Amino acid sequence: MKQIWIIFEKEVLDGIRDTRSWVTGLLGALIGPILLGVMLVVVGSSMREDIDKSLTLPVQNPEYAPSLMQFLERYDVIIAPAPADPETAVKLGDVDVVLVIPKEFGEDFSSSKPATIQLVLDSSRQSAAVNITRVQKLLEGYNMYTGKLRLVVRGFSPEVIEVISIDKVDVATPETRAMIVISMLPYFIIVVIFTGALPIIIDSTAGERERKSLEPLLINPAPRRAFVLGKLLSAFPFSIASLAIVLIGFGVAINVIPIEKYLGIQFGLSLMTLFWIFLICLPMVFFASAIQILVASFARTTKEAGTYLPFIALIPALPGMALAFFPVKATMWLMLIPTFGQQLLINQMMRLEPINAWHVIASVLATILVATIFTWLATILYKRERILFR
Amino acid sequence: MIEVQGLSKSFGKIKAVQNLSFSASNGQITGLLGPNGAGKSTTLRMLYTLLKPDSGLARIDGFDVTQSPIDVQARIGVLSDAQGIYERLTARENIRYFGKLHGLRGQKLEKRMDELLIILDMQSIANRKMEGFSTGEQLKVAIARALVHDPGNVLLDEPTNGLDVKSTRAMRQFIRKLRDDGKCILLTSHIMQEVAALCDQIIIISNGIVAAQGTSDELLHKTGKDNLEDAFIEIIGSEDGLA
Repeated sequence: MKQIWIIFEKEVLDGIRDTRSWVTGLLGALIGPILLGVMLVVVGSSMREDIDKSLTLPVQNPEYAPSLMQFLERYDVIIAPAPADPETAVKLGDVDVVLVIPKEFGEDFSSSKPATIQLVLDSSRQSAAVNITRVQKLLEGYNMYTGKLRLVVRGFSPEVIEVISIDKVDVATPETRAMIVISMLPYFIIVVIFTGALPIIIDSTAGERERKSLEPLLINPAPRRAFVLGKLLSAFPFSIASLAIVLIGFGVAINVIPIEKYLGIQFGLSLMTLFWIFLICLPMVFFASAIQILVASFARTTKEAGTYLPFIALIPALPGMALAFFPVKATMWLMLIPTFGQQLLINQMMRLEPINAWHVIASVLATILVATIFTWLATILYKRERILFR
Repeated sequence: MIEVQGLSKSFGKIKAVQNLSFSASNGQITGLLGPNGAGKSTTLRMLYTLLKPDSGLARIDGFDVTQSPIDVQARIGVLSDAQGIYERLTARENIRYFGKLHGLRGQKLEKRMDELLIILDMQSIANRKMEGFSTGEQLKVAIARALVHDPGNVLLDEPTNGLDVKSTRAMRQFIRKLRDDGKCILLTSHIMQEVAALCDQIIIISNGIVAAQGTSDELLHKTGKDNLEDAFIEIIGSEDGLA
């Protein structure tokens, strides 16, 4: 027990002296919150921007379609002169969309033939999507409006051309829509728990072998498990610090950015929610450190370990990525999968859904159990001669 | 006190050590001499518990290396071929780490460290981080941490390897001092002059077995040669790997 503490103390001191590694690690933990902040602002502004403002639409030859122009102006569109070369202007992004009215429009319109108009747009430009959709909707509206007028003139009820009437019931509340963005969050939290522990684990296992200090160390009178446990525990403070920083970062990002303004919704990560997420993630600190110690112990050099470990951090984080797109219902069985259960729980907490206490218990116990098995395997590895000599 | 009886160790098909028997007493320097690859380091590694013998016995102060490795570890100080230190720690912190692992604490540990720093003439570098230490300085730290618990038995694997003349002389003096303190010293070497100059007892190993054993005078007498070099070559049967 004492020996575990001595080894822990030394590894933590050694780790803290390696300033560059842990500073990089902690800054890395902030990438997630920064990215989320940027995404919220960008997604939010492209979703909401200008919807209440009047739309300026460049039109070529507006004089050929006076009734269309009147219709558009009635719906708050400001008709502007079109650029000389509409296609180039749209391609370059100078304007979002240009309406071109050909000379024949008036003639076709008067004789009730389908009159062609041209809409010049770039469908790959996300930022133009809002304006394009708005213009298209207005043009369709004009189409229906004029068509119905013509039917009335000919003595038909306008209803004959309405085969179906679509009534949209969108069950996504504004909050759940924003969740698509927010549900990237568990992914970042998990990656950071792994990467926070990574430098010190590489240094205290593969690094110890590389600089030939493992052999003298293991001659000291202590059972091998003391070495493994001391090194394992020394990764905890670094992993926990990264976890705390990423959670604080998300808390700040979500509470400081005026999400209401950007997404038109109310959303907040309360201190209490953050604290619960922190607690639920603690067993993952053990898990992440144990699996990384085990794998790093196979590596003979820090370079070798540095190639293996980032993959380990990625694998458990992948389901989190998937969760952003395919929501999964939390069940007892899923709780038994370390890291996945936590991701589901974090998601539930952020959605302010009720949490099943048994789910939490199952997730905590399963994660601790699997982490213990990894630790035990690492101890076996450290008892073999091959840890030193091959 | 080190006793070895019928010790054997193989790595796959390679028989590194075969049926090796010898003993090393307190207050004596015992040298394992042999060409490169003769099994010297393997023997030492079995004695300092990091390799398990396939068969045979090895005891240190009566404790079996396989049965009670932790008791053995508490009674040996080892300067192995691997002398890695922790560069971000100071010399003192490096030594203190090993001292603590040996169960030393507080004043007692600090006093012992001060002693070693004086003996090894390294007070001036004691509180510097070890990054950028010279080979000689690193070696001093490695020796200090190996001896911090004042062990009765000292195992040295090629202790003067890579040292310049001045450091080699200092190292030999230090080893003699340890002998005079009554320690049991076992060292390996492939350098005849070193073994001849230092050792009270010489064990010549070749291909994993003991080829001859005795004081340098006894070895001369046994082979009928008038210098050690010829005696060694006579015993080993070839000049390969000796220096």
